[in-house]
Amino acid sequence: MHDLELINVGKVYDDGTVAVAGFDLAVEKGEFVAFLGPSGCGKTTTLRMIAGFETITSGDVVIKGRNVSDLPPERRPTSMIFQNYALFPHMNVFENVEYGLKVRGLAKAERQERVGRILDKFGLSAIAQERADNLSGGQRQRIALARGLVVEPDILLLDEPLGALDANLRRVIQDELKILQRELGITFVFVTHAQSEALGLSDRVVVMSNGKVEQISTPRELYTRPATPFVAGFIGANTIFRGEASQGGAPGRCRIDTRFGPMEGVGDAGALAGRSAIIAIPSDAIAVHPAGWSGSGINTVTSTVLSRDVVGHIGHLSLALDGAEPILVESHVDRFAGLQAGPGDTVTITWEPERSSVLAA
Amino acid sequence: MQAGVLKPVLAVYTALFIAFLYGPFIVLGILSFQSGPEGGPQFPIIEWSTYWYRHLFGLVPPSRVAPLPIGDSLIRSLALAFMTMVVSTVLGVASAQAFRQKFRGSGPVFYLIVLGMMVPGVLVGLGTALLANLVGVDRSWWGTAFVLHVVYTYPFAFLVMLAIFNRFDRSIEEASWSLGVSPVTTFRKVTFPVIFPGVLSAMLFAFTLSYDEFARTLFTSGPRLTLPLAIYGTFAVEIHPNVFAFGVLTTLFSFALLAVYAILMMRSVRQSRQVSAEAA
Repeated sequence: MHDLELINVGKVYDDGTVAVAGFDLAVEKGEFVAFLGPSGCGKTTTLRMIAGFETITSGDVVIKGRNVSDLPPERRPTSMIFQNYALFPHMNVFENVEYGLKVRGLAKAERQERVGRILDKFGLSAIAQERADNLSGGQRQRIALARGLVVEPDILLLDEPLGALDANLRRVIQDELKILQRELGITFVFVTHAQSEALGLSDRVVVMSNGKVEQISTPRELYTRPATPFVAGFIGANTIFRGEASQGGAPGRCRIDTRFGPMEGVGDAGALAGRSAIIAIPSDAIAVHPAGWSGSGINTVTSTVLSRDVVGHIGHLSLALDGAEPILVESHVDRFAGLQAGPGDTVTITWEPERSSVLAA
Repeated sequence: MQAGVLKPVLAVYTALFIAFLYGPFIVLGILSFQSGPEGGPQFPIIEWSTYWYRHLFGLVPPSRVAPLPIGDSLIRSLALAFMTMVVSTVLGVASAQAFRQKFRGSGPVFYLIVLGMMVPGVLVGLGTALLANLVGVDRSWWGTAFVLHVVYTYPFAFLVMLAIFNRFDRSIEEASWSLGVSPVTTFRKVTFPVIFPGVLSAMLFAFTLSYDEFARTLFTSGPRLTLPLAIYGTFAVEIHPNVFAFGVLTTLFSFALLAVYAILMMRSVRQSRQVSAEAA
């Protein structure tokens, strides 16, 4: 049984705006799932539908086998962590954390024991009697987590919980979250627009755009095997060529005819042939060869260096392609001789077909 | 405008403002210490005395000046203001809460509510009196006048609460629901404590507006008068400084109320600051 299932979930606002459409997802117990996408893509709306703050227009939300679609938020086994923490301003830290248990009518002794334990765990015992407005962002974040976890939810929902923290603190809390989630074994669903958070924290990432799910996969796969042109453009740094797909090439591969000649990548030639398509090549799959390179074969593009820029040991080359947007290639400076080239020099880039993907445009 | 010109203009403006605000009160205050019972509302003071204050409490020998008929009317006015305050504030909080979500017809409903403070008091008062006559309802301070006081003060309470809810961070309510707490309990334990400073302001508005309401009450209070009507009634014969002495005492009472309000406010202002800081 899955901890959380979204079955064809959709949300249409009263004015007819479609916020989310056909969202399908099954989350295992203890899994860390991130919803990633640009703002307005429907990720927060989906999270709020899971929590019960937004009504569901179509489809169902099932938690541990129970359909909760029509239950109000207080009767769902979920806890939400808000971007602005949403701490109760008229209570101190202890009372904030105790609140959920107190309203449930737990005996005082048990309440105090559980609150004390979780405050200890989050290193908040020393400030238990303070009011939240005197505290730092990191502390408030921890209070919000303690408050949400003390009621022992089946699923913890986090809405951009790191968004209001500065970069250093974000790093620290991010690590804490990851460790915490492993330790507790509770399912986490996390909404963010920051790639680094989604890819660094989660077991699986749901990439969304315009209310639709673009791809659900592990972070690594998002880099290596984008499933849609949106993901190819949104995640990592892919070089993209447009063209028309055609039959031919090795099994499991697809050919694509571009302005820069035929190319080949992983793709379903049977389904794609004859349609307009793109080929997406992860930046680190591209090899750069200096002028006079004698190799040849498929997936070879020759161009001129526009600019070169080295930060530490990472070299960035901007390559001109006549009429198209320049390509940015990024690699360790020592890895390819071509990265030593300067502006005006001719270089040739190549990549293995296996590492690129052909997708319907 | 040049700062050099602006400053004196502002200073003059402020001085005039303060003069008009406190001038009448200072005149009343001085006249209340006129000697009695011969002294009247005129300058210069014949002789400074506390005669009229003692007169107010019946501590002087009977004279040709009748005691101010305030005893019952004061109690009536306080009771009326209290009732009005409670009902208007409850209505104001509840309807402002309803207005947090757009609902069908919210526009017209808004203007219907606000109409109560816009329409001229004399007209509503007269209209209510005629209507009461027509349907055979006796006019009384606790009936017809009370209803009109609520109609008049409710929009003020409503607008105050609307402004408070405007700044209210609703995610703390969602956080509470998400912790398994029902909306009703959430309102009691989270929403209400946080909006409490606003509720105090709404109460203060409703109370003071009702306490010295004149035009609406004039036509609707029936034979038993409220304090403003009773005081006005004494003017019809001759004005004696006992009215001024009473004015000074009620003003001091109001200041005492304000002080209580300020103390309550200061205790919760820290919380509201926190709310806005979190919303930011």
